[in-house]
Amino acid sequence: SGELYCSLPNPRNVHFESINMKNVLHWSAPEGTGDGVLYKVKYAVYGVGKWIRKPECRNINRTWCDLSSETSDHEEQYYASVKAFLNGTCSGWTETTRFNPLTDTQIDPPMVSVSSTDKSISIILTAPEKWKRSPEEESISLLQVYPGLQYNVSVLNKKTKKRWFFSINNNTLVVPWLEPGTAYCVSAQIHVTTPLLDSGFSKEHCIATLKDK
Amino acid sequence: GDALLPAPQNISILSTNMKHFLTWSPVIVQGATVRYSVEFQGEYEREYANGSWIPVSECSSTTATVCNLTEDISATVAYKLRVRAELGAASSPWGTMKGFFTRATTSLTPPVLRVLADGYHLLVELAAMGPTFHFLVLYWRKGQESKVQQKVMREVSSVVHLDTMEAGAEYCVKAQAHVEAINRSSSFSPTQCVRAQGDKSMWL
Amino acid sequence: TAGDKIFHFGACRVSMSMTEIRASFTAIKANIQSRDSIRTLSILSHPHSLHKVKSSDRCCITHHLFTFYVDKVFKHCRTEDSFVNRKISSIANSFLSARRKLGQCREQNNCVCGEESMEKFKQILANYEGLNVTSAAMKSLGELDIFLDWME
Repeated sequence: SGELYCSLPNPRNVHFESINMKNVLHWSAPEGTGDGVLYKVKYAVYGVGKWIRKPECRNINRTWCDLSSETSDHEEQYYASVKAFLNGTCSGWTETTRFNPLTDTQIDPPMVSVSSTDKSISIILTAPEKWKRSPEEESISLLQVYPGLQYNVSVLNKKTKKRWFFSINNNTLVVPWLEPGTAYCVSAQIHVTTPLLDSGFSKEHCIATLKDK
Repeated sequence: GDALLPAPQNISILSTNMKHFLTWSPVIVQGATVRYSVEFQGEYEREYANGSWIPVSECSSTTATVCNLTEDISATVAYKLRVRAELGAASSPWGTMKGFFTRATTSLTPPVLRVLADGYHLLVELAAMGPTFHFLVLYWRKGQESKVQQKVMREVSSVVHLDTMEAGAEYCVKAQAHVEAINRSSSFSPTQCVRAQGDKSMWL
Repeated sequence: TAGDKIFHFGACRVSMSMTEIRASFTAIKANIQSRDSIRTLSILSHPHSLHKVKSSDRCCITHHLFTFYVDKVFKHCRTEDSFVNRKISSIANSFLSARRKLGQCREQNNCVCGEESMEKFKQILANYEGLNVTSAAMKSLGELDIFLDWME
């Protein structure tokens, strides 16, 4: 394809970093190169016969490229590849391993909202949404992508320092019969059994039960 | 040569809670260190791969007389297991365990259960038993044995909330381990009872 | 449950240790897929995607694919790596066990094969036959997650 003789070392560690299926390609500069290196990116749907250039990531000097839109069908798998240019010479292409958006993504913790009465706290959990192109696009909850999704909820009694865990399938939890006027801190994690995917725990949301009337 | 080195004897498998250990009697050669190598063969290897055997690298040229096969015996089919002795370049004939081993025959022990009451809340702690286990927890209010409730729990090694209790009432809990992969359950753990905060705040 | 999935095919109920199969595959996925240099061909997902199989045909395609892997694929995947070979054995024996359970569904006549699904399966076999046997077997093994994702 009329490419120059490529004596530049290849880009290194070309890989996808994916969170909630926002799939961003990352890489490191070729060894021994400083500033001024430019890159171009292409990708391919595994099993389909052509590589596709990513125009927005042509002649870029950054070392990442957002391919979320191009890899949004999580029933497909993908490869991506990066080539470097510097002072009139170029490198070879460096490819990723095969990327499976369904199993190779990382899931964010759920959103946690907590309210309380004098003797109970109510917890509502919201699973993160799959990445989408624009706010107008229809939202897809990861609950729809991973039907076996469950929540682990931790409830810490700040007075007694005792922590309880709940494992629930639906997204609401009411913990009754608590001590009035006591602070409780709640955090939650998403657990998917197969494929095995666990989010981290959310940050703690603390709330106090109302004082006894 | 090989004829001097007898095959290991008393080859047997010790399988508890889906953890499988092959053991055998040592081959004694005065003044020498005898080593052993272990291989396994699943039903697939017998039926579709010309009866091939697969070496277990952690138990190749080992001086131990036990080998952990848990990671390798991870399908519910019949396995054949063998071990041979090695001394320098010489190796004994293979000693093959009699019959087959299938993990469905593993012995299952009741889970280690700890029951707590925290105010009006009934809590349990179950020692993890491995990725293939989940737990069936039964609980009831003392005196209302006909109204037993149950909860299925995955591996848990933290304090898990079971239910809320009525003030002063006593609740009893027992649990059994279940392995879906072999569709078997352990016997139940001993029953433990605790009392909710309220009229008689007392631990049993 | 602890990663064991209960699959319903009509009235037929089959439990499979998907977590164990997935754990074994995940452990060797990078190794196996790196041996497959053909990016532009797929055995399972192109030109026909498994995801377009009608739900009534799921049992049939699942049983055919288990048979495909047991009869054709695993035996040609022996590698020089002992760890990889042990994981392949684990998957192969799990597939054998799962296929036996699925066989019971066929006996209960819950595993009907529609014309459309047979076409898809023929395409899969054609894709497989289009490569030399070792490449085809390694590629098929590298696509195991496509099968597992679809099943789940």
